Amino acid sequence: MITRQRTHIPLAANPMTSGPPKRRTEPGKGGRFRREGYGQMYLILLPSLLLLVIFKYVPMGGLVIAFQDYNIFQGVRGSDFVGLQQFRELFASEEFYRVLLNTLLINFYKLLFWVPLPAFTAILLNEVRLLLFRKIVQTTLYMPHFLSWVIVGGIFVNLLQINGGLVNDVIAWFGGHRVSFMLQPEFFRHIVVASAMWKEVGWGTIVYLAAIAGINPQLYEAAVMDGASKLQQIRHITIPGIAGTVVLMAIMSLGSVLTNSFEQILVMYNAAVYDVADVLETYVFRNGIGQMQYSFTTAVGIFSGVVGFVLVVTTNALCRKFLHRGMW
Amino acid sequence: MNKLAARSDRIVTAFAYLLLIVSALLVALPFLNLLSISLSSANPVVSGDVGLWPKQLQWDAYRYVIKAGAFYSSLRISIAITLVGSLLGIVLSVMAAYPLSKPQLPGRKGLVLLYVFTMMFSGGIVPQYLLMNSLHLLNTIWAVILPSVTAVFNLLIVKNYFESLPEEIEEAAKIDGASPLFILFRIMLPLSAPVIATIFLFYAVGFWNDYFNARLYITDQHMMPLQVYLRTVIFEAQDPSGNFKLDSTNVGSLAPQSIINATVILSMLPMVALYPFLQKFFLRGMVIGSVKG
Repeated sequence: MITRQRTHIPLAANPMTSGPPKRRTEPGKGGRFRREGYGQMYLILLPSLLLLVIFKYVPMGGLVIAFQDYNIFQGVRGSDFVGLQQFRELFASEEFYRVLLNTLLINFYKLLFWVPLPAFTAILLNEVRLLLFRKIVQTTLYMPHFLSWVIVGGIFVNLLQINGGLVNDVIAWFGGHRVSFMLQPEFFRHIVVASAMWKEVGWGTIVYLAAIAGINPQLYEAAVMDGASKLQQIRHITIPGIAGTVVLMAIMSLGSVLTNSFEQILVMYNAAVYDVADVLETYVFRNGIGQMQYSFTTAVGIFSGVVGFVLVVTTNALCRKFLHRGMW
Repeated sequence: MNKLAARSDRIVTAFAYLLLIVSALLVALPFLNLLSISLSSANPVVSGDVGLWPKQLQWDAYRYVIKAGAFYSSLRISIAITLVGSLLGIVLSVMAAYPLSKPQLPGRKGLVLLYVFTMMFSGGIVPQYLLMNSLHLLNTIWAVILPSVTAVFNLLIVKNYFESLPEEIEEAAKIDGASPLFILFRIMLPLSAPVIATIFLFYAVGFWNDYFNARLYITDQHMMPLQVYLRTVIFEAQDPSGNFKLDSTNVGSLAPQSIINATVILSMLPMVALYPFLQKFFLRGMVIGSVKG
């Protein structure tokens, strides 16, 4: 979900603002209300709104269990109120800091590649004049975006298996020792980043290709007239032309630095690598649902949700202020 | 242009082509290896002889998976979730988008905010799980479908589309006294085929690929959708029948990895078959989504 939203944000420049209100002088608000059929409008909206309230807003109300010692048999009303005790435990728990640090490590590690790689690939694609070649490359690079994390996980498990996996075959061919990659803590984060790049870099080029397409072609024409080389054109026209988008994508990605990677890791990790693999939400999932530590993990969830919210709002405000573009 | 510049230009171009070929191969070769192993016999697979081409061709891995009942039942559940979820999602998105596309609708701003806020903040895993539990929806397809049919991004795409249609289209019907419901279903909807196709694909890919919701809400083995089932096959080496662990002793002449890969490839087929449409409509969806400045 998150990656999908992220790829769409920059193009959906400002989906939220409506056009200027088209007011016509109409005597009496009530008459207008009936004439436009607003009563029925609300009725049309109702089914969607009801589901939104039940499945999105009721769980937000359910966050009160973070302030309780929640017991599933006594329910929200019957469970004891304990105030901030869960949060005190949380901030005193070493495990929490380990998981938080891990979340940041993995996601910043990803960011390191997520911003430059698609931009670079887009610049390369832009240099290609053979349309068929370009089409074939794009079609290949976009493909993994549409596959689920489970399938991508399956592809990597196959590549990395100890006997007969392509990567280990190559290592063995060079005379190295075979490694059971998926079970080794020191490799897990690299595998997460590599598989994420494998899946999303191609699709990620789209925003930059759009930005390049928006560069005034006269700039290139003038540069050619002045005898600028390809490299100079890239350096002085293409890169400045997409710099805004690069910064926008980087700032936007900061907004999801706590929630990113969750589904991917939930698919790919196993007990042998929990120490280096856990992100906040996998930790909540395993201990909350699996171990029924409902209240404690909800406190973790509130921390992650509130910080994530502040990050998204701040990064958007930054983008609006400095780049005059935002998610809404 | 001088000679030196022309030569450096050729080098840049060659470099671009070369790097793109390498990156396309980096994406394509893992697929080829996956496929080759699924089609090779046990000996070459286990001894690591299979690279990008099958050795000692066999189809038994695919026969084996197709015969495993659990594959079908999870496939059926995934298809049900995808179809029901996408249809419901389209209907609800269109019905919500129409009123919200009317700039004069009283309270519109607040309502839109109510939707957009859910993109940025949620109750999180545990409260959502407890809600499903108290609604008795665990282990039903509805637990996976209902929280996702109010996808805000899809709603905004339709809303933007409606806003981009000229107001005159509705004007005549309004003067004739047509109700909003009539206008929506008789006038707006027939004009909305492209945007509906787009959000259909958004919803369908989302439901088909969804792993987390199903993992959270569905624990009953007989109700597992394809992605959850597939994960147990890949990562826990569960036999595709769902009954025992895959290892070389109990699947006879096949390498376990061939069976796993065959399951992955069969699960991939729907997306591969739809891919030409997906590429086109996802790109178009991004354009429609950005019509409004």
